[in-house]
Amino acid sequence: MLGFISARQAGLDDPLRLRRAESTRRVLNLELNKDRDVERIHGSGINTLDIEPVEGRYMLSGGSDGVIVLYDLENLSRKPNYTCKALCSVGRSHPDAHKFSVETVQWYPHDTGMFTSSSFDKTLKIWDTNTLQPADVFQFEGTVYSHHMSPVATKHCLIAVGTKSPKVQLCDLKSGSCSHILQGHRQEVLAVSWSPRHEYVLATASADSKVKLWDVRRASGCLTTLDQHNGEKSKASSEAVNTAHNGRVNGLCYTSDGLHLLTVGTDDRMRLWNSSTGENTLVNYGKVCNESRKGLKFSVSCGCSPEFAFVPYKSTIAVYTVFSGELITMLRGHYNTVDCCVFQPNFQELYSGSKDCNILAWIPALREPVLDDVPEKSLRRQHLNPAYEDAWSSSDAED
Amino acid sequence: MDVRLAELVEELTTAGEPQLEPGRMKELKKICRSSEEHLSHAYHLLLTRLREEHAEMRFSAFQIVQELFSRSHHFRTLLVSNFQEFLELTVGTDHEQPLPPPREVAQKLRKAAIAAVLGWHEKYGEAYKKLSLGYHYLKQNKKVDFQDVHARTVAERKREEEKQKRLDNVYKEKAKRAEKEMAELSQEVAETLTEMENCFRLLLPDPFDFTVNGTELEPTEQSADKDRSASSLPSYVGCVDDEQPCCSKDILPVSPCVRMDQKEELGDKQKKPEQNILDGDTCSEVESGVPVLGDDDYEAFVRNHGLISHKYTLDLELSTDIKVHENEDNTAVINSVVDAHKLIRNKFLPSVQSWIQLFTRAGINDDRLRCAIDLKNKLEAALRKYKEMNITFKERKRKVMKASDDDDEDDDDDFVEVPEKEGYEPHIPDHLRKEYGLEPQSPPKAPARKAPAGPAPFSSRARLIENEDELDPTCAAATLKLIRDKLPKLTPPQASESATTEPAALEEPDSKRRKLEEERAKAPLMPFGLDLHYWGQDQPSAGKILKFTSEHRFWAPSEVEEEVENKEITEMLKTRYITFAGKFEPVKHKCRAPMPDGSLCERQDRIKCPFHGKIIPRDECGVPLSAEDRAREEKMRFEKQANQPEWRDPEFMREVEAATGVDLGSSKNNGKGGKKKGKKKYPNLTDLKQQANTARSRLEKIVFNKGAVKRVVKAMNQMDQRKHEKFANQFNYALN
Repeated sequence: MLGFISARQAGLDDPLRLRRAESTRRVLNLELNKDRDVERIHGSGINTLDIEPVEGRYMLSGGSDGVIVLYDLENLSRKPNYTCKALCSVGRSHPDAHKFSVETVQWYPHDTGMFTSSSFDKTLKIWDTNTLQPADVFQFEGTVYSHHMSPVATKHCLIAVGTKSPKVQLCDLKSGSCSHILQGHRQEVLAVSWSPRHEYVLATASADSKVKLWDVRRASGCLTTLDQHNGEKSKASSEAVNTAHNGRVNGLCYTSDGLHLLTVGTDDRMRLWNSSTGENTLVNYGKVCNESRKGLKFSVSCGCSPEFAFVPYKSTIAVYTVFSGELITMLRGHYNTVDCCVFQPNFQELYSGSKDCNILAWIPALREPVLDDVPEKSLRRQHLNPAYEDAWSSSDAED
Repeated sequence: MDVRLAELVEELTTAGEPQLEPGRMKELKKICRSSEEHLSHAYHLLLTRLREEHAEMRFSAFQIVQELFSRSHHFRTLLVSNFQEFLELTVGTDHEQPLPPPREVAQKLRKAAIAAVLGWHEKYGEAYKKLSLGYHYLKQNKKVDFQDVHARTVAERKREEEKQKRLDNVYKEKAKRAEKEMAELSQEVAETLTEMENCFRLLLPDPFDFTVNGTELEPTEQSADKDRSASSLPSYVGCVDDEQPCCSKDILPVSPCVRMDQKEELGDKQKKPEQNILDGDTCSEVESGVPVLGDDDYEAFVRNHGLISHKYTLDLELSTDIKVHENEDNTAVINSVVDAHKLIRNKFLPSVQSWIQLFTRAGINDDRLRCAIDLKNKLEAALRKYKEMNITFKERKRKVMKASDDDDEDDDDDFVEVPEKEGYEPHIPDHLRKEYGLEPQSPPKAPARKAPAGPAPFSSRARLIENEDELDPTCAAATLKLIRDKLPKLTPPQASESATTEPAALEEPDSKRRKLEEERAKAPLMPFGLDLHYWGQDQPSAGKILKFTSEHRFWAPSEVEEEVENKEITEMLKTRYITFAGKFEPVKHKCRAPMPDGSLCERQDRIKCPFHGKIIPRDECGVPLSAEDRAREEKMRFEKQANQPEWRDPEFMREVEAATGVDLGSSKNNGKGGKKKGKKKYPNLTDLKQQANTARSRLEKIVFNKGAVKRVVKAMNQMDQRKHEKFANQFNYALN
């Protein structure tokens, strides 16, 4: 660390390098921190989380009882101990609250004044954050599994919506109507994601085990359908044409640079695809347990030198290196299935929501204070929580 | 040390006890304390134990975990890092992994785990995030109410209090009712008690009353006596004068001047003499019984009584087993006693007991309870007394017969029944009797009680009494009773015969008649039949059949033998078929062949035992009596042994096995002996498989046995096949 700093001071290193090293270290030290808590508002499982990209300060959470809560993540109290407060929430008593489980929430990428939420009550709502009133409501024919707004789009304002119908809908915020329909899937669309690199490129994952990439300017067909065998086996067997997984594909996530795409399916696999060519990179992540029947929200780190993927794995969160497929660690803390996790890139924090109603904050462990040897022990004693002390009774010592 | 640790954990967790063994636990803690490696090793060992599908094992492991958790931070970190699994294994948070059997222990484990989590959370919750997360998870998701333990107890306590209150009210109500009832009944109870007491006094005088009441009561007693039987009275009284009236219950040596027991008054005069005589041996010395007297009196007393010394010792042997017999005289008394006894036993005592119960339950501890207890004591005393009295009363029916009997002999006798007293000596010299009727004998003369009494004097006595019963009913009654008791068989025929017929005249026909009767007794009883109907008659027409050979109305053949004699029919009228099947005789012998366990075969087959062949006579050890059989059995045994190679001698094999510990299959040789089950791995734990050994599972084993299923399927297939064969030609059935 010191070496990095001095190199940075001397101007030997790219500033990015220090940043990367530090953030990597921090990600590797993610742990459940007793100093950081997230207020418990939800009375049922948490399906989705989103942190606004502008400041990285506010987080939205959607619960399976239709409740949406807005948290402030930033600790302004100058104390290590901090509980993320819920600033406001769209509770059950709210007149415009979702009737059923909220599946996806997303901030408007450019401003915290607006966010979107979609739910099993077949609606997509555009909310005004300040008044907590829906600015617009889109009705669909099937339950909405997922929606996404392009984080980089400047020329359009489209929300891709994956619903129970195999058609992907594109809702235009400007006109307030469904402008496009992307046809190609045969079953319900469980996940949609815009490319963070190309504003017109959309990836959709469906229960028919296919993942398609679209250019929304060309509605006639998809760009490509990802093929897990890279076209080798599918030539032989015409039936298994271009499937990304052998089960339902329910999770989709671009790497932060948008060059690669991660998908997870109910065949307990995770695959990494080259998003420009649609090629399976054949990275082996091992078994990634996935029993969700809905969309699974997982995330990828940003700004680390090997990038990491945080994937819900039953009641834990598995941390993989994206490009080598190595399982770094399992974050244990939830007591029930984890449904979503979101990475906060500024502070390298991870937030995860689970069916056990908890939102857990995974905070990088602080560096051990390096102290002189002599006072260390006494100092540690002072700092130690009494609960950490051993309590061997004297009677045990006697014999 | 690691090995020892593993051993300790295994021993502790397989003990199956609800509590951990402190010694081993201490050792374990000591080892764990020594280093963190050991601690984590112990943690992993415990976790594997927790994963066992056995609630007892889990429970013990959990207890160890609890011990270590409170002691070591390292252990806490370890456990908390895997707290989800811990909860799954101990609380059963995962529906798909319920806690393993046995159920009671699993519930206990669950309860203990929840309580532990609560405690841990309170103590360490702040420091260990996951612990508090787990706690909240249990609390909010699993809806485990941690306050439940307390809350439930509070609620229960409240409920219990309410119940208690209600019960108290009920009891109070009941107590009140009982009180009322007691007030009503106590009068009656007291009356009954008095009645019973009086009856007892009538039946058996209380010795303590003698001195007290003696003098005052004498006149009345005498007058009463006079009323009854004037003639016997003087002697009676006189006799008593000298004698100690030693009733069965006499305890005190009553002063010699006491005339008699005044208690014997009125009701049962005739009992008196018997009682006087009773306990003859004791009475002999009663005379010298010394009352406590002053020194002055002493010499006078000695002189007065012509005693040589004042220092006689008096031994009183009191027989405690009293028997009061019913007789005509005390019937009424006994009846009332019995009635009262029944009343007390069936009604008063239970109700009094229930009152006491009610009072104690209602917590009443005042006069009411005391009163009830008093009543109860009194009633019980009365019952005890009744029992001691040993009253034998006759049933009513018998008494009626007796009365008629008595009528034959002495018509107007009111005093027939005398309760027989022990020690009563019926031997009375004739001359005395003639003079006095019945006179109590002087005790020293009294021989043994009943046995030597000869029949002759009694019969004569009987006759005598018949004559004299007017003179002295007391005596007559006593004797008659004795006669009846002693000579129950002899007397009645004598009496009846002498009364009805002249014995001489009847003597000869009597013998004939007897013979006839004997024969009659021998003759079998047969059902009535045709043969009996025509017994000794000749049936001329029997067996003759009229023949009408022609059935034509007008035309008839000329010569017709009209009657045909059928011998069979004739016979039929005179014969009777009696089937003789013999009589069933139960088998009395047993097989008695020696069994391998040393006992003898207990089977009682008639001819052949299914296990040991033909049944032959054997001695006590089961060895055949006849040499031939012995030889045969010997040979068979030898052959059987020869079938086995020598080195497989079962005993030898068993020894070898015991020495080497290798199963050579000796147990298999014992035919049905079967294999011994391997020792259970953990004998202290509840055997889960055993619980599955229910009737249902056993049946299942048989019914769903592969072989059985195969057989059934085969049979069903065959049936199908047959159907197909039957209709094979038909197009319809050809295809299925």
